Amino acid sequence: MRNVAIIGCGQTKHSARRRDVNLAEMVGDAVWNALEDAQVTPQEVDAFTVGNMQGFGGVAQPEQWLGDWIGAAGKPVLRVATGGSTGGCVAQAAFYAVASGLYDIAVATAWEKHSDSKEPGATTGLSHVALGNTINMINCGLSFKHLLSMTLVGAAAGVACYQAMYYMYRSGSRVEHLDMVAAKDRRNAAKNKYAHLQWPGCTPEDIAKTEWVAYPFRYGHICPASDGASAMVLACEDIARKRCKKPVWIKGLAAYSDEENQIMSEGAGGIGILDASQQIGATMSAIKAYRMAGIRDPQKEIDVAEIYQPFPNQELIFAERLGLFDEGTAWRALEKGETDINGRMPCDPSGGVNATNAIGSSALQRILECALQIMGKAEEHQVPKEVHNAVATGWGGATNYIAVTVLGDSPY
Amino acid sequence: MAGRVAIVGYAQSHHQHDIQMTREDMVFEVAKGALRNAGISREDVDTVITASTDFLDGRTISNLYTSMAVGAYLKDESKVEEDGAFAAYYALMRILSGVHDIALVEAHTQGSVVNPHLVSSYTLDPLFERQYGFLNDISAAALQARMYMNKYGVSEEQVAMVAVKNLMNAADNLNAHRKMPDVTVEEVLNSKLYYDPIRELTMSPVSDGACAIVLASEEKAKEITDIPVWIEGVGSCQDGYLRDRSLYKLDSLQKAAQDAYGMAGVSNPFAQIDVFEVSEKYAHEELMIYEALGLCREGKGKTLIEKGMTGKDGEIPVNPSGGALGADPICATGLIRVVEAAKQIRGEANGYQIPAYRALAHGQFGICAQKNVVFILGSE
Amino acid sequence: MPYIKEERKETISVEGDWDIGGSTTWKDSTLLQGYAQGLKEKRIIGSLCPGCGKVIVPPRNICGRCHRKMDEKVVVSDIGTVTCFVISAPFAKGKMQVLGMDPVETGLVGEGERVISVYVKLDGADSNIDTELIGAKPEEVYVGMRVKAVWAKERQGKLSDLEAVEPLRD
Repeated sequence: MRNVAIIGCGQTKHSARRRDVNLAEMVGDAVWNALEDAQVTPQEVDAFTVGNMQGFGGVAQPEQWLGDWIGAAGKPVLRVATGGSTGGCVAQAAFYAVASGLYDIAVATAWEKHSDSKEPGATTGLSHVALGNTINMINCGLSFKHLLSMTLVGAAAGVACYQAMYYMYRSGSRVEHLDMVAAKDRRNAAKNKYAHLQWPGCTPEDIAKTEWVAYPFRYGHICPASDGASAMVLACEDIARKRCKKPVWIKGLAAYSDEENQIMSEGAGGIGILDASQQIGATMSAIKAYRMAGIRDPQKEIDVAEIYQPFPNQELIFAERLGLFDEGTAWRALEKGETDINGRMPCDPSGGVNATNAIGSSALQRILECALQIMGKAEEHQVPKEVHNAVATGWGGATNYIAVTVLGDSPY
Repeated sequence: MAGRVAIVGYAQSHHQHDIQMTREDMVFEVAKGALRNAGISREDVDTVITASTDFLDGRTISNLYTSMAVGAYLKDESKVEEDGAFAAYYALMRILSGVHDIALVEAHTQGSVVNPHLVSSYTLDPLFERQYGFLNDISAAALQARMYMNKYGVSEEQVAMVAVKNLMNAADNLNAHRKMPDVTVEEVLNSKLYYDPIRELTMSPVSDGACAIVLASEEKAKEITDIPVWIEGVGSCQDGYLRDRSLYKLDSLQKAAQDAYGMAGVSNPFAQIDVFEVSEKYAHEELMIYEALGLCREGKGKTLIEKGMTGKDGEIPVNPSGGALGADPICATGLIRVVEAAKQIRGEANGYQIPAYRALAHGQFGICAQKNVVFILGSE
Repeated sequence: MPYIKEERKETISVEGDWDIGGSTTWKDSTLLQGYAQGLKEKRIIGSLCPGCGKVIVPPRNICGRCHRKMDEKVVVSDIGTVTCFVISAPFAKGKMQVLGMDPVETGLVGEGERVISVYVKLDGADSNIDTELIGAKPEEVYVGMRVKAVWAKERQGKLSDLEAVEPLRD
């Protein structure tokens, strides 16, 4: 296998409504920033991998229209999309493009522009995930009351609601811990100039004052819907060593699919997963990625983690699945401040998805933020210690997609 | 290429309009079929790549419910949101990287879910063409056809001859959707006009269908099968947006083909490749594809079809399976071409077999074939 | 060069309609209809996987874990265990709309009421069903609570025949 490194990162400012740019300009900005960071000209790029959730912006196959803005005309472009984990899968596709030996320099870019859809926010797109199944259920005489309860806890928040309950039941953590995660992420986001929901000095008490969505979630727990794009330049070893002072190596990666966790499943049937916080796919992906990276003890060897956590419980669940904490103890580490920006195992120093969620881009941003930490370019939210290895996740679908990427400052 | 990768198994559905199967069942059947054809079980598979799109599927995260049906449970899975040939291209990269050994590639579309021509208008520049409301994939193809035909003096009869050839070929193919063994040029020219000069029989039908293949690394392929079909070369390219490209030729296909030829060591495709399976969503595109693939000089595609050189018993048979005009389950179409090319090499194309050692498969996606991918397959 | 980086001033917003939901026709299996028909006789049907022996309720076609068809149907108990629950925020008039209707205004839920959604693993099944818990206050529900199905008085072979679950009291 060829070694592959990230040699440049670029992202745009994220906010609820980027009305100053159109979709193509926004993606162009991110790609341009990445190329500038990598000191690579557009002509030198061999291949592009792109992705977003096309239902959310209302443009089908947007890369065909905006290809010219990112210099992709006349180049191979591969579009990858897997729901929330899209960005992670896009970056992994770029890794494979270079690792396969077919291409030397690849650009991975992912984006989302929610505000282009008629109903700002992810609702329009998300309701389409299971619309066919829901209509089938209504045709089979689903009561309106039941539909109401499904809508209440429906879509992604619904699965996450149950997931949070399962985790809390199993680990003994409480809603206060969700408040603590959300507060930490918003504080961290305040140090990240690209982040969306910035709240300097946010405390768990502030979060606890927000209204309930459905127990155990409050409005303060839930991620925003952002507009934004991010991009990375990946290169093979020769070029990376020549062009970049501190290339960040992609050492291990995996994306194991789990069974979709939604009661309205294929043909509106049930699913075999009893515990939505189990996430076997994440455990399997982490094992595979660590084995590839040669990491034996993630608790000691990983220095920083960027976890995909649109809902705060996921930071705790996935930190355990990634082996950063023992099973059921992530919330204790949180209490001790170990996951803070200056803690023993900083989780989401950038503020994570909880503060910035441009869905397609979010998982790519996790990898990008890890790369920034290793390069030492994270500016205000740089963790105050040496970073050798970092791990990033993406999470999508109905809890069934996961993309784990392990990065390091040396390829071995 | 650093290592070698082979196609070791394949399966496809009986493409038809309005198939009486859920997408999950359809996907399950072809995935099972491909694994059975390869003689391996799901446990042997390392990675799964599927192809479908959210718009064509009418649901966000189109692979959400088909992941289990394709057999991706606890497998390294990803979805390519375009033609299945791109999924094969991604799976190839995954194997070449050395991280994975055996890949299952699956692509499907049920054209009956959403009108794909409606979807195509959503791929247009949302700030200009879409607001204008005139363009969709058919009218854009009409523009393309007119530009091409005017520039090189191609007549409608010559375009119709492509349709006649492919629809007659499709009649021999069990899996094809639109089979017309007795079709004539007159019949094609008298079929319903959509946008001049695009007619019902010069554009691909809207089909429901699925297709799957199994790819394996050299070592595994030799263990699995005695008749591996090697991928000798691959190339892919995306053109500029509709407004910013020369519509009368397929630049991106030309570049993709050159990359693939270079990798496979093909200098004279006319002589060195025995059979071609191309995705011609419209009859005139096949003539343009001849030129982009370097089978003839620019503007001379009409000569090839007139002389019958691309017919089943011609010197360079193109689309003996009937091509996309025979069946077009959009995301699966390109992957079906790969399968049909592999069938020719394995000698399993019952009824339309051509003696072949090397074949070319082409997949396209987007308005006026904006994205293209080319595979060169061989038996050696 | 395709890249021209410039400071951009406020742009205009172009309105357009892209919702294509109305024109989609999905194929779905008839399994759910069979399940609903079973409810008429107070039978809760699941499908049995010949590979792993799991029983999935409502029935589905394919066991993803074994990659096999699940053709056999079995009946499971209408008594089960709560594996998870979620409690809605108190309802209030004008707060939310479902299918264009205000649930409080239509009398579906009372002002200030909190709906409890539960995942229930019915005895004999290896999966959860998603339903509502009635007859218990939000603070009374717990994981592991034994519950039984509440059936509609006049059952018509619809999903609504299984109205909800209530705590099992002996």
